[in-house]
Amino acid sequence: MKNKFTLSLVCRVSLLLLLAAVASAPAKEVKLLNVSYDPTRELYADYNAAFTKYWKTKTGDDVVVSQSNGGSGKQAQAVINGLAADVVTLALAYDIDAISQQAGLLPAHWQERLAHRSTPYTSTIVFLVRKGNPKHLQDWADLVKPGVIVVTPNPKTSGGARWAYLAAYAYALDQSTNDDAQARAFVTKLYKNVPVLDSGARGATTTFVEREIGDVLLSWENEAHLAVKQYGADKFDIITPSLSILAEPPVALVDKTAKKHKNTEVAQAYLEYLYSAEGQDIAGRNFYRPRDPQVAAKYAAQFPTLRLLTVDDIFGGWQKAQATHFADGGVFDQIFQTK
Amino acid sequence: MNNGLPDDRGHLNMNKNRIKLNRWILAAVLGVPTILPALASDEAEIEALKAQVQALDQKIRILERERELDQQGAADKAATLPQITIGANGFSFGSADTNFSLAVHGVLQMDTRTFGHDDNIPGDSGFLLRRARPIISGTVFRDFDFLLVPEFGNASPGSASTATTPSVFDAYINYRYSPAVQFQAGKFKTPIGLEQLQGDVNTTFNERSLVTDLVPNRDLGFELHGDIRGGLVSYAAGIFNGVGDARNTSNYSFQDNREFDGRVFVMPFKTSHTPALKNLGAGVGGGWGEASINNTLGLPNTTGSSTSPAQSGYTTDGQQQFFAYNPTSGSVQASGAHWRLSPQASWYYGPLSLFGEYAISDQSVETSGTVPLHSATLENKAWEVTGGWVLTGEEASFNGITPKHPFDPRKGYWGAWQVVGRYAELNIDQAAFPYFSDPATSASAAQAWAVGINWYLNKNLRADASFSHTTFTGGGTSTTSTPGSVTSHPEDVFFTRLQLAF
Repeated sequence: MKNKFTLSLVCRVSLLLLLAAVASAPAKEVKLLNVSYDPTRELYADYNAAFTKYWKTKTGDDVVVSQSNGGSGKQAQAVINGLAADVVTLALAYDIDAISQQAGLLPAHWQERLAHRSTPYTSTIVFLVRKGNPKHLQDWADLVKPGVIVVTPNPKTSGGARWAYLAAYAYALDQSTNDDAQARAFVTKLYKNVPVLDSGARGATTTFVEREIGDVLLSWENEAHLAVKQYGADKFDIITPSLSILAEPPVALVDKTAKKHKNTEVAQAYLEYLYSAEGQDIAGRNFYRPRDPQVAAKYAAQFPTLRLLTVDDIFGGWQKAQATHFADGGVFDQIFQTK
Repeated sequence: MNNGLPDDRGHLNMNKNRIKLNRWILAAVLGVPTILPALASDEAEIEALKAQVQALDQKIRILERERELDQQGAADKAATLPQITIGANGFSFGSADTNFSLAVHGVLQMDTRTFGHDDNIPGDSGFLLRRARPIISGTVFRDFDFLLVPEFGNASPGSASTATTPSVFDAYINYRYSPAVQFQAGKFKTPIGLEQLQGDVNTTFNERSLVTDLVPNRDLGFELHGDIRGGLVSYAAGIFNGVGDARNTSNYSFQDNREFDGRVFVMPFKTSHTPALKNLGAGVGGGWGEASINNTLGLPNTTGSSTSPAQSGYTTDGQQQFFAYNPTSGSVQASGAHWRLSPQASWYYGPLSLFGEYAISDQSVETSGTVPLHSATLENKAWEVTGGWVLTGEEASFNGITPKHPFDPRKGYWGAWQVVGRYAELNIDQAAFPYFSDPATSASAAQAWAVGINWYLNKNLRADASFSHTTFTGGGTSTTSTPGSVTSHPEDVFFTRLQLAF
């Protein structure tokens, strides 16, 4: 009898304590980690604030989005090595493929899960030059002239640098009616004019803008606009070459990590909201080319028209481009060693 | 008559000036062709020099940037190199991504026990190397932790941990899926008693209280455990070989019995903004198992004695046996169900520490050897309350005290000082007498109080002194062997300890 009383008392006290624990629990807070490439800091600072507000209104839950930025290739490797990204928003599809293949954190068909092959916005590579364009650099051919100092990051670590390299290569192929040897000679000459290789696009911008090195920065279009906006239109000009590459930075849910963090629903919504009118508008405001035609029209004035070639068309896709040009011992290694 | 001289002089002067002017003009006209090329050549030279300076400026800037990038690259590379840490928390090294690590810790406890009635009993006064443990812990593949703790000290004389033979105390692998879901396998502390689960280097007194006599120590098994919502709720549940009260299992146990143990501990205000309640917690531990007749580990632990065969029983603060399964005829063995229940609570607020625990150990036993055989279900109970106050103001916690100012007399720092007190009782089921225990020698209850002072010189070194007084109900007629020699008078023990833990 006494035992039963003791047991009952213990059970009641335990139940009361559990109820107290539940009652004192704070409101639901969901955490997300977005691992992104270098120049998206400003874009996602704006977007994260907008999404947090949107999600709070929709569900009542608080979302805290943390950002990690760096060279796209380095960021992909960090995720492979264990950086617990719930979503990745990288510079090129190859880097997300690497995460899928090497770490198995998301399925191989990840790019088919969102519209426009999971690229909610696009960009391209332009030239950022010093005010007045003292070296008269108008197109890719001007960059290989003697005495011109070109600033661009390392294609082995930077997604933007890979886009820039391929843009130059595509231009040379176009000019030489697809003569690969001539194109290779052209980029060899171009990289002879590159004295410093930063690991990421933001570092290259620092080299050009703050350290005042070089005559031209091969820059993401959005990064060039940002530099002009930040440092003043009296200091820099943006030169749009006759031809460049259509850069398609993709986004993806890192399924296994999100599942582990139990935030798959929020992470998925986070990516989908990039395609919403507000998400597209934020992209346009941050100088990315929106996919939505209506939003794109709104920002058309800030994006000059130029011939944009795709990696698929010119290089047979990212896997092939990576293997040929950027893998160890690839074309870039060869031309940079002969520098 | 004007000879015209002044006019002539003036005329002459004018002429001279004109001539000078003409000469200058002539010189200027004649000089232009020679000066102009010189000026043009200077400008070109200046432009060339400007270009050269600009080129040099660029070269310097490039060199500076390269140096900057090299430094950055070196820093990035350093971040990927294995990390070595040496400090108060031990010695460790691990991969830069923390996925692999190995740490070496150690515990050394040098004790003295001085008994007030040192009548040639097993608990003679003397020095004791209570614990001497090198501890190796680590992580492999990010989520798999391991711990290996051998014991080279003299655990408890006569205990199942095999008095002076080195043995393995903890040896387990723990898989961390998340803080809330972890799976552990090996030899480790059974999740029941609060005081038992406190680290050996963090206990308030040299020896745990009477209540820990009724809960198991370490056992072999598998356990699911975790901390939910940052430790708001902690839980553990597992299946074990099953050991008697206060027993520390050997590294194998081939018997069919299994024991299910578990514990839930709730700290409902851990995330609240009320400091006084943050470290208030309460919970309950318990277990159930079946002990077969041949289960040699089924009965409680014992300190045994050199003069009396080691019957199972319970011990005092001085680690002397005050109760034994020592019937006047035959012997006793565990047989049948064994369950335990232990409600428990703790509260830490600033320098104050307070925790208490109640335990019931309900064991089916039977006699063997001499007929008639007897059987019974014995329900032994114990409870304790321990309190402490850190005189120097540091925060008390379940995991020890870190002095604000480590001992350094040259600077006038004396570490942290804590005064502590404890009261505990253990009551044996009256049904144990006389068929399972001799009432003439074994006590049916023990009550113990203890006071002490603990000096935390720094995070690694600690010196303790305490006094414990235990009185007994029953027993006490024999004065030559335990438990009678122990229960014949109250036990007074003065303990000291010097502890190194890192």
